[in-house]
Amino acid sequence: MRIVRRLCAWIFGILMVHLLAFLMMRTTRGGPFDSARALDPIVQRALEQRYGLDQPLLVQYGHALSGLIRGDFGPSLRYRDTQVSTLLADALPISLILGGGALLIALLIGIPAGLYCARRARSFDGKFLHAGGALLLALPNFVLAGLLLAIFSFQLGWLPPAGLGGVRNFLLPWLCLGLPLSAQILLLVRSKAKQALCSDSVRHATAEGLPPRIIVRRYVLRPSLGPVIAFLGPASAAILTGSLVIEKVFALPGLGTFFVQAALSRDYTLALGVTVVYTALLGLCTLLADLLMARMDPRLEAVS
Amino acid sequence: MKSTRGQKVAWGFLILLSVAALLAPWLPIADFRLMNADARLQPPQWTAAPVLGTDAEGRDLLARVLWGARISLAVGFFGTLVAMLIGIPYGALAGFLGGRWDRIQMRFADALESIPMVVFVLFLLSILQEYRADLAVIGFGRLQLFFLAVGVLFWLPTARVARAEALRLRKQPFVQAAIAGGMKRSAILWRHILPNMLPALRVMLLLTVPRVILMEAFLSFLGLGVEPPAVSWGGLANDGLAAMNPLVDSIWLMLVPSIALGLTLLALQKVANSADD
Repeated sequence: MRIVRRLCAWIFGILMVHLLAFLMMRTTRGGPFDSARALDPIVQRALEQRYGLDQPLLVQYGHALSGLIRGDFGPSLRYRDTQVSTLLADALPISLILGGGALLIALLIGIPAGLYCARRARSFDGKFLHAGGALLLALPNFVLAGLLLAIFSFQLGWLPPAGLGGVRNFLLPWLCLGLPLSAQILLLVRSKAKQALCSDSVRHATAEGLPPRIIVRRYVLRPSLGPVIAFLGPASAAILTGSLVIEKVFALPGLGTFFVQAALSRDYTLALGVTVVYTALLGLCTLLADLLMARMDPRLEAVS
Repeated sequence: MKSTRGQKVAWGFLILLSVAALLAPWLPIADFRLMNADARLQPPQWTAAPVLGTDAEGRDLLARVLWGARISLAVGFFGTLVAMLIGIPYGALAGFLGGRWDRIQMRFADALESIPMVVFVLFLLSILQEYRADLAVIGFGRLQLFFLAVGVLFWLPTARVARAEALRLRKQPFVQAAIAGGMKRSAILWRHILPNMLPALRVMLLLTVPRVILMEAFLSFLGLGVEPPAVSWGGLANDGLAAMNPLVDSIWLMLVPSIALGLTLLALQKVANSADD
């Protein structure tokens, strides 16, 4: 029942976003066919007719809505002879690989590092890691990208600086997107794990002579995962925001690149398509994170 | 409240930076807009004339970083202020009124949270480019728009904190007494709830400022930040990134503004932690 309600809310959210984005774009003064040189009025009219921009707003919205249901966002206004859905279908996998990989890196680095930091909170390396995490959070994404580029691409020449190719091309973008998140996860895990390390259960298990590896896994890791799962929703939003930047730095033809271009060049249909896909993705991620959280901690389900 | 040495250093750094930023027009530094074709891409000299070097147009980087501090700090401060002005009344009302109002308001907030707000703000900023002339008439430049955009982006966490505080305060005896005594609800909000929320909101303020400054850097990168000749740290770091290539060594162009940005954000974090304890 709960899942059905959440799914309905998800669909409703997509529809609202679609409507809002539609209205925002159609009510602005500048049209997509503005250019430095004024177009012949006849040409202008023909163009608007071709793309249905001359019809009443309500009719246009009806078309957009039926298109949305069929997954068809019409032709792109800037990329000639190309359907928005084709562009999206090409761009989506790239963005998904980028975002998914970054999330994986964030978790794989953040959780162990956080546990390590908590266990060695008083010694030098624990403090060093903690400070490093704080520093990562204090830098914009693209500065990290610039630093990694300077080291690994320009100085050492190990990794390609831009473009699309094999896995090697994704390594730097994954790191740039994932490392700040892993710093955030490190801080979350660290504070929770520090509490857990002082708990009675850990003291008891130590007294019983359990090896530290098992103690950490059973009594420290588990309670520390709660905040991490709660963070997955905001993390996917952060990945989405960050991917706009990282895709541009590394010249990856993903959704973010298309969105920025579309927003700047007023390619209405493309921008609308990307916005809807983004909303759907983000909604799905928060939904999954919430369900996972309820699964982990049944008390939450009872509340909501 | 006792602050540690680190926190004192952080406060000192922030105050020094703010004073330097405020006084930038009167400090004995080069003009940040002055291009000099003979002194392009000079690395930092540390003790001699271009202390922090020059950029690709021969402009003095120290001056640019100080002038950038003006914009970045102003954006951080005013953007946060807007976020607070939206978030506090919203959250305080929800928490204080409770019941159905609270539920509706929080549902709305939840719905907003699952929407990619950044995408909308980018849209809004690019659409508002169309209306620049009209907005300029009523005194709205890129910077003011920016404050608004940031406020729209960051009010939600503030609203949540304000709501939690209002919920907590509503149960306190002195508020209950005021309600029982027949005090007007608006007066209770103003006299009892708001002043007692301030400590929690101070932490929120200090936590929001760094995020707003980072957001400015983000938008500068996408070309929607402040416009030249105005400079901001995010814009400078982005220029540094753009100037970077394997053949010419110009890494300081990115490093100098980034270090300024990083140090400021770290100091803010440190100060926020001290307010938290």
